[in-house]
Amino acid sequence: MRFPTFPSQLYQFTQGLHITAGIACFPLILGKLYTVYPQLFQTPPIRGFGHMLARASIALFVGSSLVQLAIGLLNTYQWYPFPFNFKQVHYALAFVIIGSLAIHIGVKLPLIQRYWRRNSEATVELLGRDSNDLLDPVPESGSSPAPEVVGGFTGRLFRWIDGTPQAERGVSRRGFFAAIGVSTVAVVTFTAGQSFAVFKPFNLFAPRAKDIGPQGLPINRTAEAAQVTETAVSADWVLSVIAGGATTTFTRAELLRLPQTAVSLPIACVEGWSQLADWKGVRMRDLLAAAGAPSDQRLMVQSLEKEGGYRTTEMGAEYVGDDLTLVALELNGSTLDIQHGYPARIIAPGRPGVLQTKWLSSLEVSA
Amino acid sequence: MTRARIILIAVGVLGLGVGALTMVNDVEFSQIIGVGIWIVGAIVIHDAILSPILLGIDVLMRRSGRRVSLGVIVIIQVGIVVGAIMSLLVVPEIYATTLGTQNETVLPLDYGLHLALYWLATAALTAAACLVYLRIMRRRLRA
Repeated sequence: MRFPTFPSQLYQFTQGLHITAGIACFPLILGKLYTVYPQLFQTPPIRGFGHMLARASIALFVGSSLVQLAIGLLNTYQWYPFPFNFKQVHYALAFVIIGSLAIHIGVKLPLIQRYWRRNSEATVELLGRDSNDLLDPVPESGSSPAPEVVGGFTGRLFRWIDGTPQAERGVSRRGFFAAIGVSTVAVVTFTAGQSFAVFKPFNLFAPRAKDIGPQGLPINRTAEAAQVTETAVSADWVLSVIAGGATTTFTRAELLRLPQTAVSLPIACVEGWSQLADWKGVRMRDLLAAAGAPSDQRLMVQSLEKEGGYRTTEMGAEYVGDDLTLVALELNGSTLDIQHGYPARIIAPGRPGVLQTKWLSSLEVSA
Repeated sequence: MTRARIILIAVGVLGLGVGALTMVNDVEFSQIIGVGIWIVGAIVIHDAILSPILLGIDVLMRRSGRRVSLGVIVIIQVGIVVGAIMSLLVVPEIYATTLGTQNETVLPLDYGLHLALYWLATAALTAAACLVYLRIMRRRLRA
């Protein structure tokens, strides 16, 4: 599979959007659930097999959505109190939610269609009069002829809430939209600063903040966790380039003597945080040329890390051949900090941060 | 519309199938049980704990509706919701900081202080909105 390397901030944007949208979903889903809460107590609870299936699918939909949002949020805090693997479950639940949402819309489509427009027959019937204000409080005396009004204690209680005291037109509805709207704007404004520079001054609550970290850049895996604090600063460190059975090695001094290229690229994490930085080093294509290796093939990239799922990763040919892909030696004008991958790391356009391999050990051209 | 419904439900069943298959292939059985427990737990927490509390607050506030203007009650409720939803996101975060983080760039801010300031600002804005609302209503009554 080929991934786009342009625009170089694509992954930063998609993951910023992924996390920010997830955070915005908290007020939105709670608001949605508030509006249907009386339905929970409908009587009789089950009216036949079809009804049971419909309610079960809603339970699955609501339950998985709440779990999906909760574990996603906890993952951005890097806190894992749940008894399952985050990555696989978050991925699988996404399909479950898309599926149950589609079923839910399919089941409710006739209802949606009936009430979609303010002036549709059913809406007018629901309001019992020609109203300009949908969901007006129902008058206390005289029952509404609405066909979808929820009965029972909860239904009556909600109507009492909406009608106590006798409201000005639409106050309750405006209050609802204001509560959900302001909450959504607030959670986005005060957390999106970890992903989008324009929100940076308002970052009160995001689990990451721009400009914080070694050389002004956040990190995930530390040199200590990767167990490279000795190997990365060892005097005999070399970067091996392996192609067609031949190995060429470069010391850091030799890498610094090759033509140096400067690029501005973001480090962007699937957890949503990202930061643009200035990198300098050897363009991957130039390095492979210096080693007599082709630059139109996949690369196996190996790190000095002792263990971990991303010790060895594959770099697609589209990144290898890109002008912006570097073996970086400097960050923001000074030597790469060991926490950012000293002596040398990968930086490529539009790639997940976890694949921007730190503490490089070898690059092997795949046939 | 029938066709649209059939397509939606078919897409839905396909999505559920892919989700279930992915789960079975990638996640150990004991962990799938854990996912199930969390899903049921989420429903219980939302439906049986959080919602009734909210409903109770709602009912209590509306009871005072005989004395206080509904507009004011609704503005106060908006303020409470805006504060509560942010707290829902940030209180676990504050707890996570006490567990220790992988490195100092994870959870680097003073979230407790920020949340306190956020509640203060929300309370101040809510009060201001009530005053503005009452002034507008009074002017309207006079007119």
